[in-house]
Amino acid sequence: MPAGDYASSRYSELTQITAANAKDLRVSWAFSTGTLRGHEGQPLVIDNTMYVVTPFPNVAYAFDLTKVGQPLKWKFRPRNSQAAIGQACCDVVNRGAAYADGKLFYNLLEGTTVAVNVRDGTQAWRTRVANLERGETITMAPIVVKNHVLVGNSGGELGVRGWIAALDTRTGREVWRAYSAGPDRDVKVGPRFKPFYAHDRGTNLGVSTWPADAWKTGAGAVWGWLSYDPELNLVYHGTSNPGPWNAEQRPGDNKWTCAILARDADTGELVWAFQVTPHDMWDYDAVNENILVDLPIGGSTRKVLVHFDRNGFAYVLDRATGEALLAHPFVPMNWSTGVDLTTGRPTVVPAKATAQGKKVTDICPSLEGGKNQQPAAFSPRTGLFYVPTINLCMDFEARPATYIPGTPYIGASAPEYGGPDGYRGEFMAFDVTTGRKVWGIREPYPVWGGALATAGDVVFYGTLDGWFKAVDAHSGDVLWRFKLGSGVVGNPVTYLGPDGKQYVAIYSGLGGDMGVLIAGDVSASLPHDVRVRGTTLPDIGRWTSWGGVLFVFSL
Amino acid sequence: MSRLWFLVPCLTVVGAALAAANGVQANAQGTADTLRFVAHEEYIPVGLPSRARPLSLRNPFEGNREAIATGARIFVAYNCVDCHGADGSGAMGPSFQDGRWRFGGSASEVFESIYQGRPEGMPAWGGRISEEQIWMLVAYVRSLTVGDLTTENFSGAEQERMGH
Repeated sequence: MPAGDYASSRYSELTQITAANAKDLRVSWAFSTGTLRGHEGQPLVIDNTMYVVTPFPNVAYAFDLTKVGQPLKWKFRPRNSQAAIGQACCDVVNRGAAYADGKLFYNLLEGTTVAVNVRDGTQAWRTRVANLERGETITMAPIVVKNHVLVGNSGGELGVRGWIAALDTRTGREVWRAYSAGPDRDVKVGPRFKPFYAHDRGTNLGVSTWPADAWKTGAGAVWGWLSYDPELNLVYHGTSNPGPWNAEQRPGDNKWTCAILARDADTGELVWAFQVTPHDMWDYDAVNENILVDLPIGGSTRKVLVHFDRNGFAYVLDRATGEALLAHPFVPMNWSTGVDLTTGRPTVVPAKATAQGKKVTDICPSLEGGKNQQPAAFSPRTGLFYVPTINLCMDFEARPATYIPGTPYIGASAPEYGGPDGYRGEFMAFDVTTGRKVWGIREPYPVWGGALATAGDVVFYGTLDGWFKAVDAHSGDVLWRFKLGSGVVGNPVTYLGPDGKQYVAIYSGLGGDMGVLIAGDVSASLPHDVRVRGTTLPDIGRWTSWGGVLFVFSL
Repeated sequence: MSRLWFLVPCLTVVGAALAAANGVQANAQGTADTLRFVAHEEYIPVGLPSRARPLSLRNPFEGNREAIATGARIFVAYNCVDCHGADGSGAMGPSFQDGRWRFGGSASEVFESIYQGRPEGMPAWGGRISEEQIWMLVAYVRSLTVGDLTTENFSGAEQERMGH
């Protein structure tokens, strides 16, 4: 599965690479994916075969790791609508594939889920699940739970209506679909729905917390990572910002946008919901990964869900009930003074509430969040979370937005710039039980790539300007680094090769929201489109350029 | 090869008929403000008229400041700004500042791009908004070119950009 396990821990038991020998890491092999644009996500290694899915046009490669030179077993080039390119808000990324029962499952940007037979690379089935004409695309990595492949839509900036759906792994037939907003029937709210907080109980909250019909174009897209607890049989997913960004057009809590939802994995029924940012005014999607761990809290071990939100708080929720146990800030922030754990709601600083026709300045974090899609990792050996973060702030001026299908539904102008102390990103080890940053490595640019923790007590991450680093999990000392061909927005993985050696793989390939929309100067490598340099990430074009390459390292 | 030679006389006849029907002058050139097709002359046999008739699509608002200002407001109202960026700096969609046009930069070509849409996600606005509004958009986006961006020497202009 994309994150290594259902708990989304991105932790590996491999121990060959240690703090003592990481300095001897070297490139083992590399492969051009043949595509530009943002290489978010990660390779998947199953049975001595590595699977790589590229950004649009979403080609899948299967590498034979048992042979010298890692030749391809097959390459799968699906039909994928060109029109999807212009419907994707934040580059044409893909966050990876899942494997089960001899099939590779992944999503095409145009809104189709495909299953590929890994034996020969032939297509087992394809199912159109998203409506491109209404601005829906798919960028997320699916997970497989029992005989269901779970997928969700993107399009929070295009006024879509967010959903998660389960497809039969054998046939591709849609088994259930649950919307993030709308009537209880659509949201799959029934007798099993027991949110922890009183204000989250009631009927048809997905309608009554909106102005008339606004939920129909209210986003709550499910474009992030999925987690699963087999004991509770619950699937956890976040939901995106409400549409449009202009909050005055949608008075109310706008349930269940910017929320974490727990659903029955077999039926999709909503079991609990926790709205991280009610009535979002800053584009703080709650789609970041939910890491399922057992942690000592208040003198006992609790089964929790840990979520580093865009809004800058590190939430620790009871994953059976949705109760907020802790919520510490993990990045510089000024929009809220804290989360009231008796209600689960953040206390908003009035001066940072955005409004139509008013330019609110210096809001931290920016709309990119204290952390975005780049997933954190958890090491049970240190008890720490390794978190790639962003230190940007923004000005925000809302303006009226008109819903036009297939076009952005935003209604805001929000320039971004470096946050306090001048750095723009930090890779940190964070203790969620105390809210203490144990160590941090400041970076000149937002850390838009994910983390990997290993039992060798070495953690890995890549930077937007193209460095791939191995770090001591305890001290934060950088043990080794290598300058890749392009910036990193993907996530490292590690695996045991057929030769018994531990390998570490990472995509280099600048892009994503940070690498395309923000890093204007880097886009100059697109032959048909040359852009004036952006101010948000000064001079990043001096350090890196576009181009997708898979790099694999070993001792 | 032989098959190709066999085709040539047929094409010549068809071409001549088309030319007669349309009153085409061979080698007629489009001006900057009229539609020009991309001609691949290497595939066009000798004797076949190689230039399409320039269509007389002219922007009634060319250079009209008031229309350009209205175009700027329409650019925001119809969500163009969120794809093409503030001041056309580029975002999900291409920049309008670089003086480079994937589907042609003449007024009529830009009109056509807006009217009928383009393959990588540009919606077709023909029939959804008035032709007059499209011409104002044409005047506005063609006014956004900032100059030659061929060389980037890291000491030149910078622009505030926005993410999603």
